[in-house]
Amino acid sequence: MPHSASLLHLMRFGATTGAPTKPSPKDAPPTLTRHSSGFDQFCGFLRSTEGLSILDMSGASQANITFITSLGHRISSDDIVGTMQQCFGADFLDNQQAASNAQRFIEQTLTFPDESFDGALVWDALQFLVSPVLEDTVEQLLRVMRPGGMILLFFNADEKATRTPVYNYRIQDQKTLLQTPRGGYQRSQHFNNRTLERLFERAASVKFFLTRDHLREMIVRR
Amino acid sequence: MWSKRKEDELPQRPERAVGAPAHSPAPVEPLRRETNTMSSPTRNFDPEPGSVRSGSAALGKNVTVKGQIFAREDLTIDGEVEGTVECHEHRLTIGPNARVQAGLKAREIIIQGSIQGNVDATDKIDIKKEAKLVGDIKTSRIVIEDGAYFKGSIDISKPNAAKPAPQPAPSVSSSQPLSQPPLSTPTPVTAGSVK
Repeated sequence: MPHSASLLHLMRFGATTGAPTKPSPKDAPPTLTRHSSGFDQFCGFLRSTEGLSILDMSGASQANITFITSLGHRISSDDIVGTMQQCFGADFLDNQQAASNAQRFIEQTLTFPDESFDGALVWDALQFLVSPVLEDTVEQLLRVMRPGGMILLFFNADEKATRTPVYNYRIQDQKTLLQTPRGGYQRSQHFNNRTLERLFERAASVKFFLTRDHLREMIVRR
Repeated sequence: MWSKRKEDELPQRPERAVGAPAHSPAPVEPLRRETNTMSSPTRNFDPEPGSVRSGSAALGKNVTVKGQIFAREDLTIDGEVEGTVECHEHRLTIGPNARVQAGLKAREIIIQGSIQGNVDATDKIDIKKEAKLVGDIKTSRIVIEDGAYFKGSIDISKPNAAKPAPQPAPSVSSSQPLSQPPLSTPTPVTAGSVK
């Protein structure tokens, strides 16, 4: 990748604690490591007690399973981006407008009983959803959380970005995440703080974290 | 046992009907008197005393089983199974062509195919990248390759955590007679001498 293109990419999608860990073919997102204050706070919640039930919506991965279970917690996996790929195909934003696709997505997502989880790692999946699927998904998410439960979410904060890379999030340690690309780029919705507060108005509290790059981190308390 | 007259001992070609069972009596040997054992070899399915039957069993990809499977050896399933599979103290392998709708229990479980059901392995679960598992997992260790599809919960039960804390030696009152002396280093106790 030419030097100017890599700089443009870093400016657009955020600087991280480290440079891309491996060279990537043209038009493929790079693998990134990022320091996450939001995840650091989430880990403080994990360390405060044992025996929590945590939902990881980035699909099953050895790193995340090992990290969560080593702290004495139970982990459940649900690949929400994989469900989007299955239901919405190549274009998430356009294809979820079809009622049949939206219905199928809702039926397959968050199919857990009420108040099943103490914590949820949603990562950046919700930025690929639009109304009404977005509100329906948030409603399901709050339904499966126990009172006082903590949800970690990321949203791309770059207003000018028209496409966002789709990532898997892998836990490296309490403060560091590894973002590995999956499926290239997708169009995403831009959210400001006010929009997100309204989206989670049923939650007990919402907290935003300042970051140096274009990823907005937030913690929601059920 | 048989006693044969001489005229009956003439060699005869046995007439074996088509579809005769395998265990039909063998032809009588001429000019021999067997008193202790039958002349024809007997197929004995029981293992010889002291021998261990090793190996593993397999259900091929064209096999469909509906019901309960209990195995006392390593088992590989590459077909369709609906029901339950129990393979205690052994390894259970779900092959790449397998489609299983069953609860699974084994010492170690290797998953390459598709499973819908809960999985319980006392030692380890190994989920390969081509596997698809929908259900809850209970195990001591888990290995999951990138690319594997899993939807469900994971309970890690550490084997050492199951050991109970050592109990203090119970005190015996004079009114309660000892029912049985301890098996190790018995210490004689007489009623009334222990508080």
